[in-house]
Amino acid sequence: MISDTAATFGVTWQLFISQVISFCIVAFLLHRFAYKPILTVLDERKQRIAESIANAEKIKQQLAEAEASRKETMQKANADALKLIEEARAAAARVQEQETQKAIAAAEQIIAKAREASQADYERMKQDLRREMGRLAVDIASRVTGKILTVDDQRRLADETNKQIAA
Amino acid sequence: MRALRTAALSVCLMGLPLLAQAATAAGAGHGDAHAEHSGLPTAAPQVLNIGPFAITNSMILTWVVAVVLILFAQFATRNLQAIPQGAQNFWEWLVESLHDFLEGIIGADLVKKTFWFFATLFIFILACNWFGLIPGVGSIGWGHPDAQGHLGHLSDPLFRGANADLNMTLAMSMVFFVFWTIWAFQANGAGGFFLHIFGPKGDTAGALKVLMIGVFLLVGLLEVVSILFRPVSLSFRLYGNVFAGENMLETMSMLSPTMGWLLAIPFYFMELLVGLVQALVFMLLTSVFTLLICQHDEEHAHAHGHATAKH
Repeated sequence: MISDTAATFGVTWQLFISQVISFCIVAFLLHRFAYKPILTVLDERKQRIAESIANAEKIKQQLAEAEASRKETMQKANADALKLIEEARAAAARVQEQETQKAIAAAEQIIAKAREASQADYERMKQDLRREMGRLAVDIASRVTGKILTVDDQRRLADETNKQIAA
Repeated sequence: MRALRTAALSVCLMGLPLLAQAATAAGAGHGDAHAEHSGLPTAAPQVLNIGPFAITNSMILTWVVAVVLILFAQFATRNLQAIPQGAQNFWEWLVESLHDFLEGIIGADLVKKTFWFFATLFIFILACNWFGLIPGVGSIGWGHPDAQGHLGHLSDPLFRGANADLNMTLAMSMVFFVFWTIWAFQANGAGGFFLHIFGPKGDTAGALKVLMIGVFLLVGLLEVVSILFRPVSLSFRLYGNVFAGENMLETMSMLSPTMGWLLAIPFYFMELLVGLVQALVFMLLTSVFTLLICQHDEEHAHAHGHATAKH
């Protein structure tokens, strides 16, 4: 039966083996020229893509780190600047206060001095006035009485006038 | 599960060309094809002799396809670039798609070992099938004048579809059978291989276990018959589909003396599809057969562990 079937379909050992060999040659050469190199290339490409992605991830991370550190620096600089400004402001306020105090003190001193000076003037004028009044009283008395007053009279009159004025 | 789905898919796919075959059988008629000069002879005619070796026309087409494939592959990959272009891109697409497809069916480990074989099966069968459709295949060649001296019929075409020759399909099936056996022994070991076929499956104990051993011995015998029949079914399926297709194309073009060319055109499209489907089916079936014998489920892995420990 098998040999009948083989004859019907033209199967012979020689043709069969020839086709086996042909197929094996095709398989071997395709494996050699197509599958092996292409699968290698595909594998390499896969690896390269994976690497690239990993690298991109790393770069992204580094960028984020750099950004974070830049932000931190900026914040620190900002804080420092604010602190400096605050300090300067405080220092300025302190200096202003000091200067104001100094000015006030100086003004008070000047006023006090002026007051003292005017007091002294006043006292001096009062004494001058007293002396003048005494002399005037003696003069008037002598003129009214028409007599020359003695030195004792003069002193007594002056004293009395002074007392009255003082009173 | 995946294997089951794939097997179901292949069964569905195989149904399609069978319709075509039935249609052809009806079209070609049951009369003596040789005597009526209608239709292709079942055997490939011998057209040349090189020394003691007979060369058939399907062999010539096989060689043409082989040379074209090999040269194209070499041309595409002789200068591989990191960024693919042109022919390289095409081959990369083909190889990568096939690789991913097969990996999905038989798993990453098995595909590493067997990819070259299944990819070649698919590419070579597809190329042979589609080459056979090129006008000129089957229509250029030698004829014998009839009694009146008319040169009416072409008896020995120069080319014939490579898979319309049982030698070719049987050759691929037998090569598969040999490699299937090798891979099966590599994956299971000699003891594991026989245990895989005859060993009882499932958890049973006591008398039931004895019964199961008996049942699975018989199942194993059936399995052996089906395994031995695989080369036959594989080779006849592919041969039948391609031979039927060529026959149908010839019948359609002969049907009407003026409009034959038009009648054949729809069937050319169908033959393109059949060529692709048959290449796919051959590859799928062979890969699933390989998966079935090489796969280990837990229970089996355990049993194999014992088997290898004994050796």
